[in-house]
Amino acid sequence: MNTLPENTLKTRVPQEEVERVVKPAPSRYRNEIAKYIVHRSLDCERCGKCLEVCTHGVHVRKPGFEYFGEPNHHLCIGPACAKNGHYCVAQCPKQALQIRENPMYRALGDCRWSADLILATWKMAETGEAPSDEYDFNYECGDSGGGFDKLRFKFPKQPPIKLDADQIDTSISLNKRKDGRPEIKIDVPWYGGGMSFGSVSNVTQLSKARAAVAWNTFTCTGEGGYMERMRPYDDHMITQVATGLFGVREETIQRVPIVEFKYAQGAKPGLGGHLLGDKNTPAVARMRETVLGISLFSPFPFHSVYSIEDHMKHIDWVKHVNRRALISTKVSTPTDVDMVAVGSYSAGTHIVHIDGGYGGTGAAPDIAKKNIAMPIEYAIGKVHNFLTDEGVRDKMTLIASGGIRSAHDIAKAIALGADGVVVGTAELVALGCVRCSLCASGRGCPRGIATTDPELCGKMDLDWGTQRLVNLYSAWRKTLVGILQRLGLRSVAELRGRTDLLMHLDYTNDIR
Amino acid sequence: MSPPAQQRAERIAHNVRIRPMHCAAERSADGAARRPYQVLEFDARQFVMNSELIKRLAGSRKQLAESLNYNPLLKKEAEEGGCGVVGFCCSEPVAGRHIYEPSRQMHNRGNGKGGGIAAVGLVPEQLGVSREVLDSHFLLHVAFIDTKVRPEIEAQFIKPFFDIAASAKLDKVDDWKSVPGLEVLPPDVCRYFVRVKPLVLDEFIAKNHLQQLDRDEAEDEFVNQNSFSLNQKYYASLGEKRAFVLSHGRDIMILKVVGYAEAIVKYYKIEELCAHEWIAHQRFPTKGRVWHPGGAHPFAAIDMALVHNGDFANYHSVTEYLKQRHIYPQFLTDTEVSALLFDLLTRTYHYPLEYIIEALAPTTELDFDRLDPEKQKIYRAIQATHIHGSPDGPWFFIIARNLARQKQFQLMGITDTAMLRPQVFAFCDGEVQVGLIGSEKQAIDATLLSLSKDDKRICPVADRYWNARGGSHNDGGAFIFNLQKNPAGKIRITCTDKFGKPVPMPGGTEACDFSKGGTGLRPVPSGDSPDGMEQIVNEKLAAGNSLAAFEWVRDQLPKWTYDEFRAACRQMVDAAKDASRTAMAIEVFALLNDRRYSTGSKKRSHVLHVIHTELSRLLGSLPNIGSKDAGKSAFRLIDFATRGSLRPPQENETTLVIDAANFAPEGSNCDAELLVDAFMKGWRHFISFNCIGQRYIGCGLGPETGDVTIEVYGSSGDYLGSGIDGLAITVHGNAQDQLGQITKEGKMVVHGDVGQTFMYGAKGGVVYVLGNAAGRPLINSVGKPRVVINGTCLDFLAESFMAGDPNHGGGFVILNGVKFDDEGKLVPLPEPYPGSNLFSLASGGAIFVRDPGKTMVDQQLNGGKFARVTAADWELILPYLEENQRLFGITVGQLLTVNGQQRKPAQVYRKVVPGNIKAIVTEDTDDVAAEELVGDLAAK
Repeated sequence: MNTLPENTLKTRVPQEEVERVVKPAPSRYRNEIAKYIVHRSLDCERCGKCLEVCTHGVHVRKPGFEYFGEPNHHLCIGPACAKNGHYCVAQCPKQALQIRENPMYRALGDCRWSADLILATWKMAETGEAPSDEYDFNYECGDSGGGFDKLRFKFPKQPPIKLDADQIDTSISLNKRKDGRPEIKIDVPWYGGGMSFGSVSNVTQLSKARAAVAWNTFTCTGEGGYMERMRPYDDHMITQVATGLFGVREETIQRVPIVEFKYAQGAKPGLGGHLLGDKNTPAVARMRETVLGISLFSPFPFHSVYSIEDHMKHIDWVKHVNRRALISTKVSTPTDVDMVAVGSYSAGTHIVHIDGGYGGTGAAPDIAKKNIAMPIEYAIGKVHNFLTDEGVRDKMTLIASGGIRSAHDIAKAIALGADGVVVGTAELVALGCVRCSLCASGRGCPRGIATTDPELCGKMDLDWGTQRLVNLYSAWRKTLVGILQRLGLRSVAELRGRTDLLMHLDYTNDIR
Repeated sequence: MSPPAQQRAERIAHNVRIRPMHCAAERSADGAARRPYQVLEFDARQFVMNSELIKRLAGSRKQLAESLNYNPLLKKEAEEGGCGVVGFCCSEPVAGRHIYEPSRQMHNRGNGKGGGIAAVGLVPEQLGVSREVLDSHFLLHVAFIDTKVRPEIEAQFIKPFFDIAASAKLDKVDDWKSVPGLEVLPPDVCRYFVRVKPLVLDEFIAKNHLQQLDRDEAEDEFVNQNSFSLNQKYYASLGEKRAFVLSHGRDIMILKVVGYAEAIVKYYKIEELCAHEWIAHQRFPTKGRVWHPGGAHPFAAIDMALVHNGDFANYHSVTEYLKQRHIYPQFLTDTEVSALLFDLLTRTYHYPLEYIIEALAPTTELDFDRLDPEKQKIYRAIQATHIHGSPDGPWFFIIARNLARQKQFQLMGITDTAMLRPQVFAFCDGEVQVGLIGSEKQAIDATLLSLSKDDKRICPVADRYWNARGGSHNDGGAFIFNLQKNPAGKIRITCTDKFGKPVPMPGGTEACDFSKGGTGLRPVPSGDSPDGMEQIVNEKLAAGNSLAAFEWVRDQLPKWTYDEFRAACRQMVDAAKDASRTAMAIEVFALLNDRRYSTGSKKRSHVLHVIHTELSRLLGSLPNIGSKDAGKSAFRLIDFATRGSLRPPQENETTLVIDAANFAPEGSNCDAELLVDAFMKGWRHFISFNCIGQRYIGCGLGPETGDVTIEVYGSSGDYLGSGIDGLAITVHGNAQDQLGQITKEGKMVVHGDVGQTFMYGAKGGVVYVLGNAAGRPLINSVGKPRVVINGTCLDFLAESFMAGDPNHGGGFVILNGVKFDDEGKLVPLPEPYPGSNLFSLASGGAIFVRDPGKTMVDQQLNGGKFARVTAADWELILPYLEENQRLFGITVGQLLTVNGQQRKPAQVYRKVVPGNIKAIVTEDTDDVAAEELVGDLAAK
């Protein structure tokens, strides 16, 4: 680009590459939570029959050992195996084996993130593939009884045209304004959501960044400052300018290709970000230059932005500071979200990011979550249609977030009218999150993801974290390509706004 | 409480309570003949209305709405936050073209999808009517979007009811596309000078039982309802809007377009149309396709026009409140509702202006406590009654109105209690007086400049600029310019606050005769020798001591005539032949501009204008960047025309002088962008002059800029120095909003006031402010910002301040609470901090307030607490006060002097520190080490 401004490159550091290869990344816990438990009684004679019949590698006997070790419960497909002739329980000569549902499976997850969805996401993060049908995980949706869980694609019996996987384009463009700023394309129609250092650990942040590099997409710093360790991934970072302005400096704005203004979060509209005192550890306090151990509340509004022309001024400021940056405006979904979106367009934003009410980690107060913002599936259509009517739909990128859990959700959001999506919780699940919702309590996450406690952080390794996310992205892309193939569409761009391909389970009568 | 106040309070609470609809309980025993209560301190005509009459008025409106099948299920049509607003009034009628420049200035506050202007106090001859007709008749302005409907509208709504003294179709440009800034063909506009036919009025009064109502007021109401009907039939009820009433008042007119406001002046050819008051509005509707100007501001009510910058959070609540009183919006914007609200309080409830303002922007918190008890009782009643109709959220109104019966025009600005929108007031006293209100100072400057070009009696520098403190006990958050004829029959302007208290103006009255030009002015002999001035000035410059040269001019000034003073300044420019003398001359002018000193009988504003003019001449005559003699001078000038010639500095060149005049306020053609480019090419020192509100100066240079200096002259714009990381900026005048946001390091000196959200989210930096800060300074600041504010702040200083421990590297604010009087003498303000919220929710840092009289109370600190200033504290802040002394001439000795007596620091300053903050986590070195280890491992 000829206008690449020197001032934003003053402090540039060499950029690091991350390979886009799928490698197995098994759970970092010895016994991964599984749907079924395989129980071996003392009647076992160690004949090895089970080892012979099982095609999933559930049974483990280390070489040179006579006794069996703890089985790989999570690989077992359960009693359904009885139908296929590989069922160890049936074939055990001593009836020493028993397979039953794991009581933890019952306890795992919630309606939105069902246990199946969590286990399937883990599988994807481990293998880079969607779990095989044998596992019978319902990972297309959760059990919430609403939202994306009530939407289904109307797949034709035969695809209208036959397309190979490599003919399908999943990339999207983030700058449609043609305003002289860089045309940024990402290879997959999603990028990582903003989670601050403080709310999550630096290993989590770095894993997200490295996965974004591997998949040529982006991730976001959140509003807790921009770690020096993230510098090698600057080209795939979005930095957030949020209401608390924590860690936001001119220089951090200059590092990145995209700057995101966070006005509100769908999980807690009307509240700024907050980090409770326990998680304001010395490292966090230093990064944010605040007082150690004090709860940090971002104000709800930008104190300098009370109107649309203030917003424009705000955008112009960042455009001036970083002349190559694209601007993303993240807003929640009030009833007039369509007006907000078109107003943001006229103020000069490239990306409007609407954040619906289903998202949010455990840190968002329960009273706010799901109770304030408009459900994202309504908001997407409302905004998409309004922008179309106003004649500006093709001049801006519409990104949706708030409860996007799977490749199916991504496809549905796009079919409703978004260009792409932002994912947050799904990435944490891939890193081993069990949705215990304790993100904000004490020193944070017992699984070492959403925490800055040194001891808890130590539970995760960067290469592993990166690989889990690279694998998850790979699995999602394959699923997405599969959906497009079945619909006979060449690209995600063709899917955008195709509400005719969707149906709502409560209104099936409307389907022709 | 005295009986009258008690009575009045009860009366307000009693009268305006309109329960479900017509509440019979209000009917008093003595019948409807209750005497209206006279509010004696206001005009005798303004009285609180009797409740029966209010009910009848409301009832008549209800009937009307029902007869028109008004659909009360309404949704706001477009979100529109914001906008640019400006208004000015002049003791003489001034031409419409003067609204052009300020409107253009505010382009970036609109998006060209709506603009409007209003004029009050017109000149009868220009409209082809007599003075009597102009004064007594309603000027009905109707916009015909569909030109075909004019005959039917006239037949239905005008001819049957009105005696028409005169009517005309407004002239317009033939080809609307030739007018820049118009998006859609503007409507045809016709004006009618009308009075209601006596018989029609009789019938109206009889039908609605309004016999008790003053006949003139009944006529107002008739006009109001007639316009409502017209709008309902031809505008509100239709998908395709066809016509609507722009304005309906005496001696007042409104025009609106889809486009920028200034296009109106050109399109309707009103460049030469004169009026005493003008207001303009640039709209920023979020809806993309706007095809008619109905939603543009200003909005009219009887005898008034209102423009609004902001957005109500409680639009529905306000409309509900209005609906209960049978007032129904038709254009579905916040602004229309604001006009309706104001009209309700004025014409239906007959509140005096002070109470209207109170009903709109209630006085709260400490400010309420500081009102006298009688006022508290009344205000409480007003608040209890009207809080649901009080607009919530950010708003700023400019209202122009004609108090026809009192033969008075008014122009006023009212801000919301939290002061969430920018606002500046200014006043120019003199033979010709000008009062101005705007969203940004540069709109005011542009107006004055435009006016001064036509009339040399008007100085481009106002005598006073100030902000209102929303819902406060001292000014009430509103200022009113009153235009009234003096006994000699000449209109004079007075400015008062909400409480009717006059705004004091600087002492000097001797005006400079700018009509004498200035260019041809020769040095006038000043006593000793004929060519004395030239010689002395040359000597002073050669001596190389700018402070001494400044002091010489300062001391001579009261004795000099304007001619002598101008000659001295002129000579200073002419004598600046080489680099060192140029630098000297700039320094002397800077001191003359920045310091506060006695100007004797001369008007300070006029002295400043002379200084500005000469300084601009000096800077403007420096060698241009494009000229061949590279490297000869230390200074190089660059302007909009030569910006393409930007190159790295050569040889002796050190300073790039930027003439900002023609640069855009933002975007790729703004001077801030040029400054960044120049910095990247190696320039390190900058002087930016002739600024007209350009934004982002000093932003975008990135880190490692410790060797950069920027001097700014003129009206600097928003976001100045937001994000600086090392550099130093001096603002020679007032600074605007969002100054120094997220500053990391560096130094800023402001020789004036600063605007809203100054240093929001700052991490560091040292800032010295000579004057006041507006609302929310240093909010959410962290790290180590260190700030000296010599004046005061509107409110919310250092909310959520998190700047560590000041004695161990953290940040703090020193608030001196002093100002210079007209004589250049330092005087303490009545209270250093009048706001209700100081240091709220703060967890780190400290505030040092100069408060020897202990005026501040615990209630002002939400979470903070007072502490004693220790020796260590004094050691910490003294260097900053010493630098403050060097910069502004405010000595530490003066600050420590109370009532003529030198005191100890601890007796003068008070320290505010965070209250009992319990840190849950404590620093543990093992933790830090472990954390870093994890981080390092993670990074491999």
